[in-house]
Amino acid sequence: MFKFAKTIIKSFALVALLAGTSFAFTEGTDYVKLAKPIPNAQGTLIKVFSYDCPFCYKYDKKITPNLVPKLPSDLKFRPFHLKTKGKYGVQGSELFAVLLLKDQKAGLSDRDLYTEKSLLKKAKMAYYTAYHDKKERWDAGPDAYLKTGLDAVGMSKAEFDKAKADPKVKALLKEWDQSYDVAKVQGVPGFVVNGKYLVMTKSITSIDGMLKLINELKTK
Amino acid sequence: MKLSEMIGSFRSDPVGTISQWQDKRFLWILMAGLSLFMVILAHSVFQIWLYMRPCEQCVYIRLAFFAMAFGGILAAIKPSNPGLKIVGYLFAIWGSFKGVLYSIKLNKIHHAAHSDDLFGVQGCSPEPTFPFHLPLDKWSPEWFKPTGDCGYDNPIIPDGAQLSAMQKAITDFYSEGWYLWPPTHFMNMAQCTVITFGVILLALLVAAACWSVTLVRKRQTAAHVETSSYTGKLA
Repeated sequence: MFKFAKTIIKSFALVALLAGTSFAFTEGTDYVKLAKPIPNAQGTLIKVFSYDCPFCYKYDKKITPNLVPKLPSDLKFRPFHLKTKGKYGVQGSELFAVLLLKDQKAGLSDRDLYTEKSLLKKAKMAYYTAYHDKKERWDAGPDAYLKTGLDAVGMSKAEFDKAKADPKVKALLKEWDQSYDVAKVQGVPGFVVNGKYLVMTKSITSIDGMLKLINELKTK
Repeated sequence: MKLSEMIGSFRSDPVGTISQWQDKRFLWILMAGLSLFMVILAHSVFQIWLYMRPCEQCVYIRLAFFAMAFGGILAAIKPSNPGLKIVGYLFAIWGSFKGVLYSIKLNKIHHAAHSDDLFGVQGCSPEPTFPFHLPLDKWSPEWFKPTGDCGYDNPIIPDGAQLSAMQKAITDFYSEGWYLWPPTHFMNMAQCTVITFGVILLALLVAAACWSVTLVRKRQTAAHVETSSYTGKLA
Protein backbone atom coordinates (compact mmCIF):
# COMPACT_ATOMS: atom_id res chain seq x y z
CA MET A 1 0.00 0.00 0.00
CA PHE A 2 2.81 2.33 0.97
CA LYS A 3 4.58 1.52 -2.27
CA PHE A 4 1.45 2.35 -4.22
CA ALA A 5 1.16 5.76 -2.57
CA LYS A 6 4.79 6.40 -3.31
CA THR A 7 4.28 5.63 -6.98
CA ILE A 8 1.36 8.01 -7.12
CA ILE A 9 3.32 10.79 -5.44
CA LYS A 10 6.22 10.15 -7.79
CA SER A 11 4.04 10.36 -10.87
CA PHE A 12 2.42 13.54 -9.60
CA ALA A 13 5.84 15.03 -9.06
CA LEU A 14 6.82 14.05 -12.57
CA VAL A 15 3.70 15.64 -14.05
CA ALA A 16 4.33 18.81 -12.05
CA LEU A 17 7.92 18.88 -13.28
CA LEU A 18 6.84 18.45 -16.90
CA ALA A 19 4.15 21.10 -16.52
CA GLY A 20 6.73 23.40 -14.98
CA THR A 21 9.20 22.98 -17.79
CA SER A 22 6.54 23.39 -20.46
CA PHE A 23 5.77 26.83 -19.05
CA ALA A 24 9.40 27.89 -19.12
CA PHE A 25 10.38 30.38 -21.80
CA THR A 26 12.57 29.38 -24.68
CA GLU A 27 15.20 31.28 -26.56
CA GLY A 28 14.24 31.86 -30.18
CA THR A 29 10.49 31.85 -29.62
CA ASP A 30 9.93 33.95 -26.50
CA TYR A 31 13.09 36.00 -26.66
CA VAL A 32 16.33 36.30 -28.58
CA LYS A 33 19.80 37.14 -27.44
CA LEU A 34 21.04 40.29 -29.14
CA ALA A 35 24.08 39.77 -31.33
CA LYS A 36 25.32 43.20 -30.21
CA PRO A 37 24.30 43.76 -26.58
CA ILE A 38 23.71 47.28 -25.32
CA PRO A 39 26.51 48.19 -22.90
CA ASN A 40 25.87 49.51 -19.38
CA ALA A 41 22.33 48.22 -19.43
CA GLN A 42 22.39 45.77 -16.53
CA GLY A 43 19.22 46.09 -14.49
CA THR A 44 17.19 47.86 -17.17
CA LEU A 45 14.20 47.29 -19.38
CA ILE A 46 14.79 49.29 -22.54
CA LYS A 47 11.88 50.03 -24.80
CA VAL A 48 12.78 51.02 -28.36
CA PHE A 49 9.99 52.94 -30.04
CA SER A 50 9.26 55.37 -32.87
CA TYR A 51 6.58 58.00 -33.29
CA ASP A 52 6.10 56.62 -36.80
CA CYS A 53 5.06 53.12 -35.73
CA PRO A 54 1.45 52.09 -35.31
CA PHE A 55 2.25 49.22 -32.96
CA CYS A 56 4.26 51.55 -30.70
CA TYR A 57 1.20 53.78 -30.41
CA LYS A 58 -0.97 50.81 -29.56
CA TYR A 59 1.53 49.53 -27.00
CA ASP A 60 1.85 52.98 -25.46
CA LYS A 61 -1.91 53.20 -25.11
CA LYS A 62 -2.74 49.73 -23.89
CA ILE A 63 0.30 47.82 -22.69
CA THR A 64 3.34 49.79 -21.56
CA PRO A 65 1.44 52.06 -19.11
CA ASN A 66 0.12 48.93 -17.38
CA LEU A 67 3.42 47.12 -17.54
CA VAL A 68 5.83 49.72 -16.22
CA PRO A 69 4.29 50.14 -12.72
CA LYS A 70 4.38 46.36 -12.24
CA LEU A 71 8.01 45.89 -13.20
CA PRO A 72 10.30 44.32 -10.58
CA SER A 73 11.71 47.04 -8.35
CA ASP A 74 15.31 46.35 -9.34
CA LEU A 75 14.62 46.90 -13.01
CA LYS A 76 14.83 50.43 -14.36
CA PHE A 77 12.61 51.38 -17.29
CA ARG A 78 14.32 53.27 -20.09
CA PRO A 79 12.67 54.51 -23.29
CA PHE A 80 14.87 54.73 -26.42
CA HIS A 81 13.58 56.57 -29.47
CA LEU A 82 14.58 55.19 -32.87
CA LYS A 83 15.81 58.00 -35.11
CA THR A 84 16.06 55.99 -38.33
CA LYS A 85 12.33 55.44 -38.72
CA GLY A 86 10.00 58.14 -39.95
CA LYS A 87 10.79 61.30 -41.85
CA TYR A 88 11.40 63.30 -38.68
CA GLY A 89 12.97 60.52 -36.61
CA VAL A 90 16.02 62.66 -35.85
CA GLN A 91 14.01 65.67 -34.69
CA GLY A 92 11.73 63.40 -32.71
CA SER A 93 14.69 61.85 -30.91
CA GLU A 94 16.14 65.25 -30.04
CA LEU A 95 12.90 66.51 -28.59
CA PHE A 96 12.18 63.29 -26.68
CA ALA A 97 15.71 63.28 -25.25
CA VAL A 98 15.35 66.88 -24.08
CA LEU A 99 11.98 66.13 -22.50
CA LEU A 100 13.12 62.91 -20.82
CA LEU A 101 15.98 64.75 -19.12
CA LYS A 102 13.60 67.52 -18.16
CA ASP A 103 11.26 64.95 -16.61
CA GLN A 104 14.16 63.50 -14.64
CA LYS A 105 15.24 66.94 -13.50
CA ALA A 106 11.71 67.57 -12.29
CA GLY A 107 12.07 64.53 -10.06
CA LEU A 108 10.06 62.04 -12.07
CA SER A 109 11.23 58.47 -11.71
CA ASP A 110 11.24 55.92 -14.50
CA ARG A 111 7.88 54.65 -13.19
CA ASP A 112 6.34 58.09 -13.68
CA LEU A 113 7.01 58.26 -17.40
CA TYR A 114 3.49 57.11 -18.17
CA THR A 115 1.77 59.53 -15.82
CA GLU A 116 0.22 62.82 -16.78
CA LYS A 117 3.15 64.65 -15.18
CA SER A 118 5.58 63.45 -17.83
CA LEU A 119 6.42 65.88 -20.61
CA LEU A 120 7.84 63.03 -22.63
CA LYS A 121 4.46 61.33 -22.55
CA LYS A 122 2.64 64.51 -23.51
CA ALA A 123 4.81 65.10 -26.58
CA LYS A 124 4.82 61.45 -27.56
CA MET A 125 1.03 61.23 -27.42
CA ALA A 126 0.72 64.47 -29.39
CA TYR A 127 2.83 62.95 -32.17
CA TYR A 128 1.01 59.64 -32.10
CA THR A 129 -2.42 61.21 -32.42
CA ALA A 130 -1.28 63.73 -35.03
CA TYR A 131 0.47 61.13 -37.16
CA HIS A 132 -1.72 58.06 -36.76
CA ASP A 133 -5.16 59.45 -36.04
CA LYS A 134 -5.18 62.77 -37.87
CA LYS A 135 -2.76 61.64 -40.61
CA GLU A 136 -0.63 64.76 -40.16
CA ARG A 137 2.57 64.49 -42.24
CA TRP A 138 4.17 67.90 -41.51
CA ASP A 139 4.77 68.68 -45.16
CA ALA A 140 5.96 72.19 -44.21
CA GLY A 141 9.18 70.71 -42.77
CA PRO A 142 10.97 69.91 -39.51
CA ASP A 143 9.88 73.11 -37.76
CA ALA A 144 6.24 72.22 -38.32
CA TYR A 145 6.95 68.79 -36.91
CA LEU A 146 8.71 70.20 -33.83
CA LYS A 147 5.86 72.65 -33.22
CA THR A 148 3.42 69.79 -32.58
CA GLY A 149 5.54 68.45 -29.72
CA LEU A 150 6.67 71.81 -28.37
CA ASP A 151 3.09 73.09 -28.24
CA ALA A 152 1.98 69.96 -26.39
CA VAL A 153 4.47 70.63 -23.59
CA GLY A 154 4.46 74.43 -23.75
CA MET A 155 8.09 74.86 -24.69
CA SER A 156 9.44 77.52 -27.01
CA LYS A 157 11.66 76.76 -29.97
CA ALA A 158 14.44 78.91 -28.46
CA GLU A 159 14.25 77.00 -25.20
CA PHE A 160 14.41 73.72 -27.08
CA ASP A 161 17.41 74.80 -29.17
CA LYS A 162 19.24 75.77 -26.00
CA ALA A 163 18.38 72.51 -24.25
CA LYS A 164 19.39 70.50 -27.29
CA ALA A 165 22.95 71.73 -27.00
CA ASP A 166 23.32 70.24 -23.52
CA PRO A 167 26.04 67.54 -23.51
CA LYS A 168 23.72 65.33 -21.48
CA VAL A 169 21.20 65.38 -24.32
CA LYS A 170 23.93 64.56 -26.79
CA ALA A 171 25.13 61.65 -24.65
CA LEU A 172 21.60 60.29 -24.38
CA LEU A 173 21.09 60.55 -28.14
CA LYS A 174 24.33 58.68 -28.67
CA GLU A 175 23.03 55.89 -26.46
CA TRP A 176 19.74 55.89 -28.37
CA ASP A 177 21.64 55.30 -31.62
CA GLN A 178 21.90 51.68 -30.51
CA SER A 179 18.15 51.40 -31.07
CA TYR A 180 18.67 50.52 -34.71
CA ASP A 181 20.40 47.22 -33.97
CA VAL A 182 17.46 46.26 -31.75
CA ALA A 183 14.80 47.45 -34.20
CA LYS A 184 16.17 45.52 -37.14
CA VAL A 185 15.62 42.17 -35.42
CA GLN A 186 11.83 42.21 -35.34
CA GLY A 187 10.79 45.83 -35.70
CA VAL A 188 9.44 48.18 -33.06
CA PRO A 189 8.37 48.35 -30.30
CA GLY A 190 11.28 46.34 -28.95
CA PHE A 191 11.73 45.44 -25.28
CA VAL A 192 15.25 44.58 -24.14
CA VAL A 193 16.11 43.18 -20.70
CA ASN A 194 19.58 43.90 -19.29
CA GLY A 195 20.65 45.12 -22.72
CA LYS A 196 20.94 41.50 -23.84
CA TYR A 197 17.58 39.80 -24.26
CA LEU A 198 15.01 41.02 -26.75
CA VAL A 199 11.43 39.99 -26.04
CA MET A 200 9.71 38.46 -29.09
CA THR A 201 6.62 40.59 -29.23
CA LYS A 202 4.58 38.01 -31.12
CA SER A 203 4.84 35.45 -28.29
CA ILE A 204 3.35 37.85 -25.76
CA THR A 205 -0.21 36.86 -24.96
CA SER A 206 -0.84 38.98 -21.85
CA ILE A 207 0.76 41.66 -19.70
CA ASP A 208 1.25 39.13 -16.89
CA GLY A 209 2.93 36.73 -19.26
CA MET A 210 5.22 39.52 -20.41
CA LEU A 211 6.08 40.35 -16.78
CA LYS A 212 6.93 36.71 -16.09
CA LEU A 213 9.21 36.61 -19.08
CA ILE A 214 10.89 39.88 -18.08
CA ASN A 215 11.39 38.53 -14.56
CA GLU A 216 12.99 35.39 -15.87
CA LEU A 217 15.27 37.23 -18.28
CA LYS A 218 16.30 39.67 -15.57
CA THR A 219 18.01 36.93 -13.57
CA LYS A 220 19.74 35.37 -16.56
CA MET B 1 -9.69 21.37 -79.10
CA LYS B 2 -13.23 22.65 -78.84
CA LEU B 3 -14.73 23.46 -75.51
CA SER B 4 -17.39 20.76 -75.82
CA GLU B 5 -14.70 18.19 -76.58
CA MET B 6 -12.68 19.39 -73.61
CA ILE B 7 -15.62 18.97 -71.28
CA GLY B 8 -16.33 15.58 -72.80
CA SER B 9 -12.80 14.30 -72.29
CA PHE B 10 -12.70 15.77 -68.79
CA ARG B 11 -15.85 13.85 -67.90
CA SER B 12 -14.65 10.56 -69.24
CA ASP B 13 -11.12 10.81 -67.79
CA PRO B 14 -10.59 13.76 -65.42
CA VAL B 15 -7.16 12.70 -64.23
CA GLY B 16 -5.83 12.07 -67.71
CA THR B 17 -7.29 15.32 -69.01
CA ILE B 18 -5.77 17.44 -66.24
CA SER B 19 -2.50 15.66 -66.83
CA GLN B 20 -2.74 16.59 -70.52
CA TRP B 21 -3.47 20.21 -69.65
CA GLN B 22 -0.36 20.54 -67.53
CA ASP B 23 1.64 19.12 -70.46
CA LYS B 24 0.64 22.18 -72.48
CA ARG B 25 2.04 25.68 -72.19
CA PHE B 26 -1.14 27.62 -71.70
CA LEU B 27 -1.77 27.13 -67.97
CA TRP B 28 1.88 27.60 -67.06
CA ILE B 29 1.97 30.86 -68.98
CA LEU B 30 -1.32 31.89 -67.41
CA MET B 31 0.06 31.32 -63.89
CA ALA B 32 3.34 33.11 -64.65
CA GLY B 33 1.44 35.97 -66.29
CA LEU B 34 -0.95 36.33 -63.38
CA SER B 35 1.92 36.30 -60.85
CA LEU B 36 3.89 38.91 -62.77
CA PHE B 37 0.76 41.00 -63.19
CA MET B 38 0.21 41.01 -59.40
CA VAL B 39 3.81 42.08 -58.67
CA ILE B 40 3.90 44.73 -61.36
CA LEU B 41 0.51 46.06 -60.27
CA ALA B 42 1.74 46.29 -56.67
CA HIS B 43 5.03 47.91 -57.60
CA SER B 44 4.30 50.16 -60.55
CA VAL B 45 0.72 51.14 -59.89
CA PHE B 46 0.24 51.04 -56.14
CA GLN B 47 3.77 51.78 -54.92
CA ILE B 48 5.11 54.19 -57.54
CA TRP B 49 2.02 55.83 -58.96
CA LEU B 50 -0.21 55.84 -55.88
CA TYR B 51 2.47 56.13 -53.15
CA MET B 52 1.36 53.06 -51.20
CA ARG B 53 4.45 51.76 -49.46
CA PRO B 54 5.26 48.06 -49.24
CA CYS B 55 5.73 46.49 -45.82
CA GLU B 56 7.97 43.63 -44.76
CA GLN B 57 5.34 40.97 -45.44
CA CYS B 58 4.46 42.70 -48.72
CA VAL B 59 7.98 42.28 -50.10
CA TYR B 60 7.95 38.60 -49.07
CA ILE B 61 4.67 38.23 -50.94
CA ARG B 62 6.37 39.77 -53.98
CA LEU B 63 9.14 37.21 -53.74
CA ALA B 64 6.54 34.42 -53.59
CA PHE B 65 4.89 35.71 -56.78
CA PHE B 66 8.27 35.98 -58.50
CA ALA B 67 9.05 32.37 -57.55
CA MET B 68 5.75 31.28 -59.10
CA ALA B 69 6.36 33.32 -62.24
CA PHE B 70 9.84 31.81 -62.54
CA GLY B 71 8.49 28.28 -62.07
CA GLY B 72 5.77 28.90 -64.64
CA ILE B 73 8.19 30.28 -67.24
CA LEU B 74 10.60 27.41 -66.65
CA ALA B 75 7.89 24.78 -67.16
CA ALA B 76 6.45 26.65 -70.14
CA ILE B 77 9.76 26.43 -72.02
CA LYS B 78 8.95 22.76 -72.70
CA PRO B 79 6.14 21.36 -70.56
CA SER B 80 6.69 17.85 -71.88
CA ASN B 81 10.22 17.85 -70.42
CA PRO B 82 9.90 16.24 -66.98
CA GLY B 83 13.07 17.87 -65.60
CA LEU B 84 11.99 21.41 -66.41
CA LYS B 85 8.49 20.67 -65.21
CA ILE B 86 9.60 19.26 -61.85
CA VAL B 87 11.75 22.33 -61.18
CA GLY B 88 8.85 24.50 -62.38
CA TYR B 89 6.50 22.74 -59.98
CA LEU B 90 8.95 23.10 -57.08
CA PHE B 91 9.29 26.85 -57.55
CA ALA B 92 5.57 27.39 -58.10
CA ILE B 93 4.45 25.22 -55.18
CA TRP B 94 7.05 26.71 -52.88
CA GLY B 95 6.03 30.22 -53.93
CA SER B 96 2.31 29.69 -53.53
CA PHE B 97 2.72 27.82 -50.23
CA LYS B 98 4.96 30.53 -48.74
CA GLY B 99 2.62 33.11 -50.21
CA VAL B 100 -0.29 31.65 -48.27
CA LEU B 101 1.76 31.75 -45.04
CA TYR B 102 3.00 35.32 -45.57
CA SER B 103 -0.53 36.48 -46.38
CA ILE B 104 -2.03 34.82 -43.32
CA LYS B 105 0.62 36.50 -41.17
CA LEU B 106 -0.06 39.86 -42.80
CA ASN B 107 -3.77 39.43 -42.26
CA LYS B 108 -3.19 38.76 -38.55
CA ILE B 109 -1.05 41.88 -38.28
CA HIS B 110 -3.65 43.84 -40.21
CA HIS B 111 -6.28 42.70 -37.76
CA ALA B 112 -4.13 43.64 -34.75
CA ALA B 113 -3.25 47.00 -36.27
CA HIS B 114 -6.89 47.86 -36.75
CA SER B 115 -8.19 46.63 -33.42
CA ASP B 116 -7.11 46.55 -29.79
CA ASP B 117 -6.28 42.88 -29.93
CA LEU B 118 -2.52 43.38 -29.91
CA PHE B 119 -1.21 40.13 -28.58
CA GLY B 120 0.26 37.33 -30.62
CA VAL B 121 1.67 39.46 -33.42
CA GLN B 122 4.37 42.02 -33.89
CA GLY B 123 4.80 44.93 -36.22
CA CYS B 124 7.29 44.43 -38.95
CA SER B 125 10.96 45.03 -39.34
CA PRO B 126 12.51 47.49 -41.77
CA GLU B 127 15.21 44.87 -42.41
CA PRO B 128 13.68 41.91 -44.19
CA THR B 129 15.20 38.43 -44.00
CA PHE B 130 14.69 36.59 -47.27
CA PRO B 131 15.05 32.84 -47.77
CA PHE B 132 18.68 31.72 -47.98
CA HIS B 133 19.56 35.20 -46.65
CA LEU B 134 19.42 36.60 -50.17
CA PRO B 135 20.08 40.36 -49.89
CA LEU B 136 17.25 41.18 -52.28
CA ASP B 137 16.54 44.48 -50.55
CA LYS B 138 20.12 45.55 -51.24
CA TRP B 139 20.11 44.34 -54.83
CA SER B 140 16.79 45.91 -55.68
CA PRO B 141 15.57 48.30 -53.00
CA GLU B 142 12.74 49.60 -55.13
CA TRP B 143 11.19 46.16 -55.33
CA PHE B 144 12.24 44.54 -52.08
CA LYS B 145 13.01 47.21 -49.48
CA PRO B 146 10.10 47.60 -47.07
CA THR B 147 9.27 51.24 -46.50
CA GLY B 148 5.79 50.86 -45.07
CA ASP B 149 4.26 49.44 -41.93
CA CYS B 150 2.52 46.09 -41.89
CA GLY B 151 -1.24 46.52 -41.77
CA TYR B 152 -1.09 50.08 -43.09
CA ASP B 153 -1.09 50.46 -46.84
CA ASN B 154 -2.79 53.80 -47.34
CA PRO B 155 -1.09 56.21 -49.78
CA ILE B 156 1.48 58.54 -48.22
CA ILE B 157 1.93 61.39 -50.65
CA PRO B 158 5.32 63.12 -50.40
CA ASP B 159 5.60 66.90 -50.17
CA GLY B 160 5.47 68.78 -53.36
CA ALA B 161 4.06 65.87 -55.36
CA GLN B 162 1.77 67.22 -58.05
CA LEU B 163 -1.05 64.76 -58.39
CA SER B 164 -3.04 64.47 -61.58
CA ALA B 165 -6.82 64.50 -61.22
CA MET B 166 -6.85 60.75 -61.68
CA GLN B 167 -4.09 60.16 -59.11
CA LYS B 168 -5.89 62.39 -56.67
CA ALA B 169 -9.16 60.53 -57.16
CA ILE B 170 -7.59 57.09 -56.76
CA THR B 171 -5.39 58.00 -53.78
CA ASP B 172 -8.47 59.42 -52.10
CA PHE B 173 -10.33 56.22 -52.90
CA TYR B 174 -7.61 54.22 -51.12
CA SER B 175 -7.02 56.72 -48.32
CA GLU B 176 -7.96 54.14 -45.68
CA GLY B 177 -5.68 51.53 -47.19
CA TRP B 178 -5.91 48.89 -49.85
CA TYR B 179 -9.18 47.00 -49.94
CA LEU B 180 -10.79 45.21 -52.84
CA TRP B 181 -13.66 47.61 -52.33
CA PRO B 182 -12.34 50.45 -50.14
CA PRO B 183 -15.60 52.20 -49.23
CA THR B 184 -16.81 49.21 -47.22
CA HIS B 185 -13.34 47.88 -46.25
CA PHE B 186 -14.25 44.67 -48.05
CA MET B 187 -11.31 42.21 -48.32
CA ASN B 188 -7.93 43.65 -47.39
CA MET B 189 -4.82 43.01 -49.45
CA ALA B 190 -3.74 40.02 -47.35
CA GLN B 191 -7.10 38.32 -47.72
CA CYS B 192 -7.03 38.81 -51.47
CA THR B 193 -3.52 37.42 -51.82
CA VAL B 194 -4.25 34.46 -49.56
CA ILE B 195 -7.10 33.51 -51.92
CA THR B 196 -4.94 34.00 -55.01
CA PHE B 197 -2.06 31.94 -53.60
CA GLY B 198 -4.44 29.34 -52.19
CA VAL B 199 -6.30 28.78 -55.47
CA ILE B 200 -3.05 28.50 -57.42
CA LEU B 201 -1.53 26.17 -54.82
CA LEU B 202 -4.57 23.91 -54.97
CA ALA B 203 -4.50 23.87 -58.78
CA LEU B 204 -0.78 23.05 -58.77
CA LEU B 205 -1.21 20.21 -56.30
CA VAL B 206 -4.10 18.73 -58.27
CA ALA B 207 -2.19 19.06 -61.56
CA ALA B 208 0.95 17.51 -60.07
CA ALA B 209 -1.06 14.66 -58.56
CA CYS B 210 -2.84 13.93 -61.85
CA TRP B 211 0.47 13.98 -63.68
CA SER B 212 2.02 11.49 -61.24
CA VAL B 213 -1.03 9.22 -61.42
CA THR B 214 -0.86 9.22 -65.22
CA LEU B 215 2.86 8.46 -65.12
CA VAL B 216 2.27 5.51 -62.81
CA ARG B 217 -0.61 4.31 -65.00
CA LYS B 218 1.53 4.54 -68.13
CA ARG B 219 4.29 2.57 -66.50
CA GLN B 220 1.84 -0.09 -65.40
CA THR B 221 0.31 -0.37 -68.86
CA ALA B 222 3.77 -0.55 -70.38
CA ALA B 223 4.72 -3.30 -67.96
CA HIS B 224 1.47 -5.07 -68.71
CA VAL B 225 2.02 -4.85 -72.47
CA GLU B 226 5.55 -6.12 -72.00
CA THR B 227 4.46 -9.13 -69.95
CA SER B 228 1.59 -9.93 -72.31
CA SER B 229 3.82 -9.72 -75.36
CA TYR B 230 6.35 -11.90 -73.53
CA THR B 231 3.73 -14.49 -72.63
CA GLY B 232 2.36 -14.17 -76.16
CA LYS B 233 5.72 -15.09 -77.60
CA LEU B 234 5.93 -18.09 -75.36
CA ALA B 235 2.60 -19.32 -76.52
